[in-house]
Amino acid sequence: MSRVRRFFRTYIPFSRAGIQEAVVYRANFICFLIGEIMSAFIMYFVWKAVFLSSGSETFMGFTMEDMVVYLFISFLTGYLTYSDGAFAVGEEIVDGSIAARMIRPCSFEMCFLFQELGNRLISVSMIFVPIVAGVEIYRYITCGELRFNIVYFLLYIVSLLIAYMISFYFNVCYGFMAFFFKNLWGTTLIKETLVGFLSGAVVPLVFLPSGLAAVLNFLPFASLSYTPVMIYMGMYTYPQIAMRLGLQLFWMVVMFGVSKLIWRSAVKRLAVQGG
Amino acid sequence: MRYFRLHRIFIAQYLKKLMEYKADFLLGAVGLLFAQAIQLIFIGIIFSQIPDLRGWTYEQILFIYGFSLISKSLDHLFTDNLWMVGYRIIRKGDFDKYLTRPINTLFHVIAENFCVDAFGEMLTCVLLLCVSIPKLNMPFHWYTIPLWIVAAIFATLIYTSLKIITAAIAFWTKSSGHITHMLYMANDFSKYPVSIYNRFVQIVITYILPFAFTAYFPASYFLTGKDPLFCIGGTVVAGSLLFALALFVWNRGLKAYESAGS
Amino acid sequence: MENMIYADDLRKEFKKIIKEPGIKGSVKALFKPHKEIVKAVDGITFSVPKGEILGFIGPNGAGKSTVIKMLTGILTPTSGTCRINGKIPQEDRKNYVREIGVVFGQRTQLWWDLALRETYAVLKEIYQVPDDKYKKRMDFLNEVLELDSFITSPVRTLSLGQRMRADIAASLLHSPKVLFLDEPTIGLDVVVKENIRNAIRRINAEEGTTVILTTHDLSDIELLCERIVMVDKGKKVFDGAISELKRDYGDVRTLNFELVNSPDFKLLDYKRRFNLTDDDISVERDKGTVKVRFDTAAVSVEEIISYTLSTVHVKDLNIKDVEIEEIIKKLYRREVRV
Repeated sequence: MSRVRRFFRTYIPFSRAGIQEAVVYRANFICFLIGEIMSAFIMYFVWKAVFLSSGSETFMGFTMEDMVVYLFISFLTGYLTYSDGAFAVGEEIVDGSIAARMIRPCSFEMCFLFQELGNRLISVSMIFVPIVAGVEIYRYITCGELRFNIVYFLLYIVSLLIAYMISFYFNVCYGFMAFFFKNLWGTTLIKETLVGFLSGAVVPLVFLPSGLAAVLNFLPFASLSYTPVMIYMGMYTYPQIAMRLGLQLFWMVVMFGVSKLIWRSAVKRLAVQGG
Repeated sequence: MRYFRLHRIFIAQYLKKLMEYKADFLLGAVGLLFAQAIQLIFIGIIFSQIPDLRGWTYEQILFIYGFSLISKSLDHLFTDNLWMVGYRIIRKGDFDKYLTRPINTLFHVIAENFCVDAFGEMLTCVLLLCVSIPKLNMPFHWYTIPLWIVAAIFATLIYTSLKIITAAIAFWTKSSGHITHMLYMANDFSKYPVSIYNRFVQIVITYILPFAFTAYFPASYFLTGKDPLFCIGGTVVAGSLLFALALFVWNRGLKAYESAGS
Repeated sequence: MENMIYADDLRKEFKKIIKEPGIKGSVKALFKPHKEIVKAVDGITFSVPKGEILGFIGPNGAGKSTVIKMLTGILTPTSGTCRINGKIPQEDRKNYVREIGVVFGQRTQLWWDLALRETYAVLKEIYQVPDDKYKKRMDFLNEVLELDSFITSPVRTLSLGQRMRADIAASLLHSPKVLFLDEPTIGLDVVVKENIRNAIRRINAEEGTTVILTTHDLSDIELLCERIVMVDKGKKVFDGAISELKRDYGDVRTLNFELVNSPDFKLLDYKRRFNLTDDDISVERDKGTVKVRFDTAAVSVEEIISYTLSTVHVKDLNIKDVEIEEIIKKLYRREVRV
C-alpha cells in the first residue's frame, strides 16, 4: 500500500505540471482543436456528397448515420489517444537534457506519462462530453430512437485506455528515433500519415480490399483507433469484443517490451556519446 | 530589382545549407508526398463505389485537387519562414535583427528561408495534373496559359496573405503559430468542389477566408470555361485585397512589436 | 560639439499579465487575467556628442535595453522622441538603419548555418556596399578583429568570443556613424574582452564613430567611456563624466594595513569604535593584511589611520583610489542622491 502511495507521490507533481502547462497553452489547444474538428467536418461533407451521389442507403455496409458516428468518434479517439511524448523525448535527446532525466530517481517514461495525463485532463474534460453528446443527439434525431448503449460505451472506455497506452509506448519508441534523425519534422509527418491511415482514421478498414483489411486488423495500428470506434458503434459481437481487447492487450505488452529494449540500447549509446 | 538579386542570394545560400542536411530534406519531401498519397487513396476508394461526386467525375476531382496544390506548394516553397515568425522568432525576441536591417522586414523574413520540402507537394501536383488533363476535354484558347499563370500567382497570394496576417498576430500575442495551423487545416476545404458544402461553409470559404479561390473556382473555370469573370477575376480581387490587408496588419504589428527580454 | 544622439523624455510602457503561483493561479488566469502596466522607461532625456563613447549602465531590468531598442528603431516609444543624426528611427526605418550598427551580445544576428564569409556577402548585398569598399572594409575588419582564423567556419561552430567578434564586424561592415553595443563583452574571457575593447577604441578613434555601450562589466566603462549615463527603474539617475562621478560621489576609500603580528587583527573593531554600520564600512582580512573599505562621509581617513596605528603594530599601509564599482553599487542601491 505504501508503495502505491509512494509511486503516486513521486509522479503526481508531473501531472500537476502538465495541468499548468495545458492552461498556459490553452489558446494553442483550442486552435488545434478547432483545426482538427474542421477536418472532421470536411470529411462529413465529403461523405454526405458521396451518399447523395450513390443514390443508395448504404456505402459498403455503412449508412450515413454510421459514417457520421464513425467520423466523430474516431476523431475523438484519435485525439484522446494522441501522445506527443515522442516529441519531448526527441527534443531532449537533441539538446542533451535527457542526461538529467537519467540521473533522477524516477522512471523516465512514467514522468512523461503523468505529465501528459495531467496535460490531457483539461482538454479531455472539455471535448469528451460535447462530442459524445453531439453524436448521440444526431443519432437520436436521424433514427428517432436513442441508440446509446451503456455496455458498449463502457467497453469503449476500456478499449480507449488500452489504445492510449499502446500509443504512448509506440511514441516513446518513435521518440528514440531522434538518436538517428536530428530533425523529426519529416519523419513525424510520415509517421502520422501512415498511422492515421493504418489505424482506420482516414477510412474504416472494412472499406479496404479484404486481404489488406484482414492484415491491418491484426496490426497494432487498428488497436489505436479502429477497434475502440467499432466497439462504440456496436459493430462487434461480445466474443469479437473479447478477442479485440485481447489483441489490444497483446500489442500493449509488445510495445512496452520494445520501448524497454530500445531504451536500454539508447542508454548505452548515450554513454558512448558521453551524454 | 535589388530585391530579386537579394532573393537569389538567399536561395543560393539556402541550397548550400541544404547539402548539409540532405536526409532531413528528403524525409520532409517524402512525408508531404505521403500525406498527399493517402488523401488520393481515400478519393480512389470513394470513386470505386460511385460514378461521380455531385456531378464531378473522378478525373475532374483529381484535377481540382491537383490545382489546389499549385498555390499551396508555391506558398510552402517560398514563405515557409512565416511559420517561424508565429512559433519562435517573435517569442524569442529574434525579430530585432530584421528591424536593424535596411530592407523590408516582411521580405527579409520570407526570403531567408526556402522550403524545399514543398517539392513533395509539387510532385504530387504535377502527377495529378498530368494524369487528369489528358482525360478531360478542357477548353483551350490562346489566353488559357496566361490565365493559368495569373490564377496561380493570385491564388498563392491568397495563401501567403492569410499566413502573413496570422503570423503578424504574434506581434501582439507573442506567439501565433497555432492560429496559422488552424488556418492551414481550413484550407483543406478547397480540395473539393464547393457545391458539396452547406450554405454557411460556402459563404465562409468564398467571401471570408477565400480558400475556394485558391483551387475550386479557378479550376472549375479551366474545366468548364464558364464564369471567367467570377472564377479568375475573383481570385485576382481576393488575392489583391487580402495582400493589401496583410501588408496593413504587418505594418501595424511592427509598431506594436514588444521585443522580448529586458 | 554637435549632438549625434538626442533622446527627449523617452517613455515605454508594457502591459504585463500577472499570474499567481500554483494551479489555482493558473486557473484564475484562464478566466480573469490580471493585467498591469509596467513603465520600463519612464522619461529619460540625454544626448551624445559626435564621436563620443557613452557607457549606458544600470542594474538588470533598469530599462537599458529598452532604451537601446527605441534608439535603434526596434521599439516604438510610448511617448517622447529620439533623433539620431537628425533622423527619427521610427519614421524612415530603412534609411535610418543604414547609418547605424547594432550588436546584441546575448544573441547573434548572423545566420546560424552559413559560413561567416557567406554571412558577410549577404550583408554586403543587404546594405548595398560597393565591391571595392567591401574589400577594403573586410581587410580592415580582419585586421582589427582577427577574423581570419574562422572566417570559413559556419557560425554555429564558433566559440562565444569568435562569434562576438564576428557580430561586431557584421555591425561595422557598412561603416555606420553610430554603433550600439548591448553587452558586447558578456560571458567572454579576459583576452577576448581586451581584444574587443581595442577594436571599439580603434573604430572610434579612426572613424569618429559614436558608440553607445551597455555593460555589466565596469572595466569596460573605465577603459572605454568618457561619460556614463546610469538608469534605474526606468529613470536616469546619473549623467556625466567618470571623473565627475568620482569627484562628486567618490567618498569610498580603501586602506590596506599590513600587520606585524597577524593575530592582532582581532584587536581592531572599527564598527564599535566609530559606531558604524555595515553600509559604512567593510573589513576583510587576507593573512597579514587588513583591507578596510569605508565611506568618508561616516568616518575620515585620518580617524581610521590613527585608530589602527594606535591599536596594532603596522608594517606597511597603502591607500587605494576610489573604485568606481563601489560608487555604482551605492548608486544602484540609491544611497547617493543625484
